[in-house]
Amino acid sequence: MEGAAVGSSTSNSGLRPVRDREIGHSRDAAPAIRAAGLCKFYRSNWTFKVTRGLESLDLEVERGEVLGLLGPNGAGKTTTLKLLTGLLTPSAGQAWLLGVSIDETACRRSLGFLPEQPYFYDYLGGLEYLELAAGLSGVEPREIRARASHWLDRVGLGARPKLRLRKYSKGMLQRLGLAAALVHEPKLLILDEPMSGLDPLGRRDVRELILEQKARGTTVLFSSHILPDVEALCDRAAIILDGRLRRIAPVGELVDQGVRRVLVRCEPLGIVELPAEWGSRVKREDRGGETELHLGASDDVNRVLDWLIQRGKAVHAVTPERATLEALFLATAAGASDQTDRRSA
Amino acid sequence: MKSLLIAHNTFREAMRDRLMAGVLVAGALMMLITQAISPLALGEARRLTVDLGLSSISLLGLLVILLVGTSLVAKEIERRTIFNLLSRPIARGVYLVGKWAGLSGALWATTALLTMALCAVLMVRGYGSDVPAVLQAGFFSALELSVVTAIAVLFSALSTPVLSALYTLGVWLVGQWTYDLRGFADRFPAGLKGLIRMVADLAPNLPLFNLRTLAAEGRVAPALHVLTAVGYAALYVACALALASAALERREFK
Repeated sequence: MEGAAVGSSTSNSGLRPVRDREIGHSRDAAPAIRAAGLCKFYRSNWTFKVTRGLESLDLEVERGEVLGLLGPNGAGKTTTLKLLTGLLTPSAGQAWLLGVSIDETACRRSLGFLPEQPYFYDYLGGLEYLELAAGLSGVEPREIRARASHWLDRVGLGARPKLRLRKYSKGMLQRLGLAAALVHEPKLLILDEPMSGLDPLGRRDVRELILEQKARGTTVLFSSHILPDVEALCDRAAIILDGRLRRIAPVGELVDQGVRRVLVRCEPLGIVELPAEWGSRVKREDRGGETELHLGASDDVNRVLDWLIQRGKAVHAVTPERATLEALFLATAAGASDQTDRRSA
Repeated sequence: MKSLLIAHNTFREAMRDRLMAGVLVAGALMMLITQAISPLALGEARRLTVDLGLSSISLLGLLVILLVGTSLVAKEIERRTIFNLLSRPIARGVYLVGKWAGLSGALWATTALLTMALCAVLMVRGYGSDVPAVLQAGFFSALELSVVTAIAVLFSALSTPVLSALYTLGVWLVGQWTYDLRGFADRFPAGLKGLIRMVADLAPNLPLFNLRTLAAEGRVAPALHVLTAVGYAALYVACALALASAALERREFK
């Protein structure tokens, strides 16, 4: 998956971008995605029991932004994406893509969507499928072949364009799905678990593709279970639990909120004891050629460093121990679970 | 434009299906069998060739509809290939028109091939004068299959492949006997009579497309009949697809 121009202002393939007839000036200023009170409830046909898929989602995604949706299975991530792409109808609320209501078919003209575990027509070849996808997305007929070939090459499947999709591996299908989502070079990309089931190389390729789209100004909304990917790719992350949006913030901010602990590594302290007044705030670990001091709070850093210098101990490193997104995600999930328990009690 | 793309893809799917090759082989075999048994027809070999040839074309077309047409939409939902289409700027009605047009096109192509094969058999046997009537009857068979395909698409948008095959077969059977059904209704009390008549009226009037008896006599239908049948087929297909579209609009793709 290499070879395309990164950061092209108009088009990745160097071809003319798809005309966007319906989006006027006022819509140009609208956020890429806006949802207001978006709800989805499912009713069982047999028991008439109503279950919540998504409750009152208010969300704005700015143009050019990459937003990651996090949440466990059944949290409402896929429901959100399907509502936005027109595969589900909202029970209440409204949403707009690039300023166009999701009720209108036209809102999907500048949308590229990759469903979770995509399935394709297995009787088609890769090139045929991309040609179909390009045509259905509004690419001019005379450009269809060139675009399809370009994107097939771009995702590394160009060597055998006529190979039937029934012979594709899972990773190849995922790449083809991405190419199909990008073949009309959309302004908005919605990806449902784009890395799921991929090997490390495949994940790297998908990450590169998303970063490339980000560089050319495409808005990307994607759901993922793979938190390091979200941390590496997203401007903001949203945590959805039990059909509700629990937190949304810039990834850096979410992670920085967790900066509490600091690790200080220095030359071995040997028989020197830590001051008793530090108590449990500073924990010591002697490891081979050095000593590690784990500080429970960053306020203690200067005090500890002064103490080490006074004793002539060389400091090797001072590292803030940032909370991972995973830790924050788990903490949010635990908090939500506590709230639910309290409510039910 | 987009419905044409979907139609082209559906046509391609149907023609690449082994079933279609099987149908062509079965059609050719039927014609050979007809020739083998024609000496038993006691001077009615021409009638037998035309009648059985045209009947097998219709029945094989129906088989394709029951096996392919009734799962046309349902299979896409089941396999989730529909997600990749309906998340693009395509109205659901346009999608259905494309699916119907694609399978209808495949059935027209198959019917045309088998009808031409039948005409070739007739010419070899020295019954060349029947060819115009057989060609017209073949055209009517294809029209009938287009109407039944629209019904299959309607049920496919509403139900599972198995159920939609059963419903389509049911409507086809009722449609074959609409005239008899109306006569049969007169034997019942008013309420039931009205119900049976309504069923007969709603079912497609398939005898309108049956020119097999006429073709077996070497006669062609008048232009007015052709116009009436074409107009009726167009109207019936439009209504069935409009209903299918309304049903699909309400479908949720979980």
